Amino acid sequence: MYKVLSKADLPRLIEKWMAQATVYAPLRQGDFTKFAPLNDPAQADLYYAANTRYPPKALFLPQSEVMFRAKDGEFESTEDEVSSRVILGIHSCDTRALQLLDGVFWAGDYQDPYWAKKRGQTTLVVLGCANPCATCFCTSVGSGPFDKRGADVMLIDIGDEYVADVRNEKGQALFDHLPDASQEQTDTSRQVQAAAAAKMEKPFESEGIEDKLYSLFDNDFWPKIQQSCLGCGVCTFLCPTCHCFDIVDEAQRSERVRNWDTCMFRIYSQEASGHNPRPTNTERTRQRIMHKYAYFVELYDEIGCTGCGRCVRYCPVDLDIRQIIRSAQAWEES
Amino acid sequence: MHNPYKPIPMRIARTVVETDDQSLKSLELTFERGADREQFFSKYRPGQFCQLSIFGKGEAPFGVASAAWEGNFVRFTINKIGVFTRAIHKMKSGDPIGLRGPLGNWYPIEDWKGSNIVIIGGGCAFTTLFALAQHLLPPEIRSQYGDLAVIYGAREPGLFLYKKELETWYEREDINLYQAIDNPREGWGHLVGYVPTVTKEIAPAAENTVAFVCGPSVMIRFTLPVLDELGLPSERIYTSLEKRMKCGIGKCGRCNVGSKYVCKDGPVFTLAELRELPADL
Repeated sequence: MYKVLSKADLPRLIEKWMAQATVYAPLRQGDFTKFAPLNDPAQADLYYAANTRYPPKALFLPQSEVMFRAKDGEFESTEDEVSSRVILGIHSCDTRALQLLDGVFWAGDYQDPYWAKKRGQTTLVVLGCANPCATCFCTSVGSGPFDKRGADVMLIDIGDEYVADVRNEKGQALFDHLPDASQEQTDTSRQVQAAAAAKMEKPFESEGIEDKLYSLFDNDFWPKIQQSCLGCGVCTFLCPTCHCFDIVDEAQRSERVRNWDTCMFRIYSQEASGHNPRPTNTERTRQRIMHKYAYFVELYDEIGCTGCGRCVRYCPVDLDIRQIIRSAQAWEES
Repeated sequence: MHNPYKPIPMRIARTVVETDDQSLKSLELTFERGADREQFFSKYRPGQFCQLSIFGKGEAPFGVASAAWEGNFVRFTINKIGVFTRAIHKMKSGDPIGLRGPLGNWYPIEDWKGSNIVIIGGGCAFTTLFALAQHLLPPEIRSQYGDLAVIYGAREPGLFLYKKELETWYEREDINLYQAIDNPREGWGHLVGYVPTVTKEIAPAAENTVAFVCGPSVMIRFTLPVLDELGLPSERIYTSLEKRMKCGIGKCGRCNVGSKYVCKDGPVFTLAELRELPADL
């Protein structure tokens, strides 16, 4: 179902949503944007940056999340402490990341109630990416700037209006009262989508990458390509699909908390005996890349990277995952 | 929705100092709620592990060291090695403690009815192997299997676990226990030698035999070629892996070997399965 929304009417629509839900949108924070709850519709800044620096996965898997409060020797779960939410202006790469993480948290024998509650309570109003930036590579990893998978609504910017592709009932609840888009408007929206994808350079083809990486597992490829890595972990913290966490007790606050963790840190896999299966940056870089481009593919038949480009943009030594993949593909096995 | 991160309340019913150096202690935990007990024993199979939880100190994974028939308790044998295990060693009978589990897969013993069983263990890794051997001992289960041999090595006589129970095994006709220490010691009436050497000497017949091996990595590394020489195929050699873990349910990362999570897809793997995985141990 295609609806049309004039840009001038967006603030009023947001206000309407705000009456029933917490509405998150990108907000300016210095030179960057970050998803935060809106107090005023005018705060939403959908265009300042192609992608927020801080990934919206944090709205589902917070950087630090209280899991339990300890009370009289009992663990009281916090999973129900979430109410209805709308996320406006999230892009396809970050939406896709949530969908990939559903495979980890919201499927199989053990479902994660914290993740599931937040996902269930949230409507995703995705803004298609008409102007992908130079570090974006979603088209290389089986996605695209207007990938609609996981979107409840996809907004396509056609100038003074958005064409809203309403994908399901959750989306209908927010957009139902709006007029239908005309044939001309939907045609224009299709052209916008095609033009954006065509504009993007494809830095690599991902076909067969998992086999190539497996074949390089013990190769000197890894020590060579990671040499400039500082092991700071920013690539994993800002990554929308990285989901590793640590569980710690904050005894003074009587809370059991989970915090983002990263395979780029030594202590991450350090065992009590002193043994560490990943003692240097070489093994840790291999783990980071292979988790996304080999293990995830094996488990879910999808690449565990959505091409958002954050790890490329914010790496302090300019290690570029696109270059790593290209190098792997070209690497000659000795 | 069920919260798999939420520990169930347990109580320490009994503690046993296992080794002469007091570094290993067994705790027998009982359930505070009958429903939890039923739930636990409806799922538990030897080879599985649990997360033990002390609020303020955190959680850590431990293999279960008891068989269901032993009673309404769950035994864990814990090596005093870090912050959490030091805290556990200080705990006394009657103290409360949290538990999540049973977690992970198990030794698939029911797939091997009619086979001879060889259990090979070393040092403090004998815990889940002990649970497996105990599980096999009641007559109605024991009668479903062929010969049962247990090879168990430790550096010193004082470092064996479950000494009292092991003594009773010597009195039985239906289990052959071979205990070995690294170096000769006066008064030691059993075998002397490293586990791989002892295994070679005992040379259990490979035909219709399945092996369960767990111990320090150096022991495993040298025992596997011996089993290979004896003619045991890699599909009939099981081992159990250890990794740093947090969630225990395949979400938090960290314990993976290739695309397998040791907590969820393991901890038990056949040698054939391990050979398919990248060398990330």
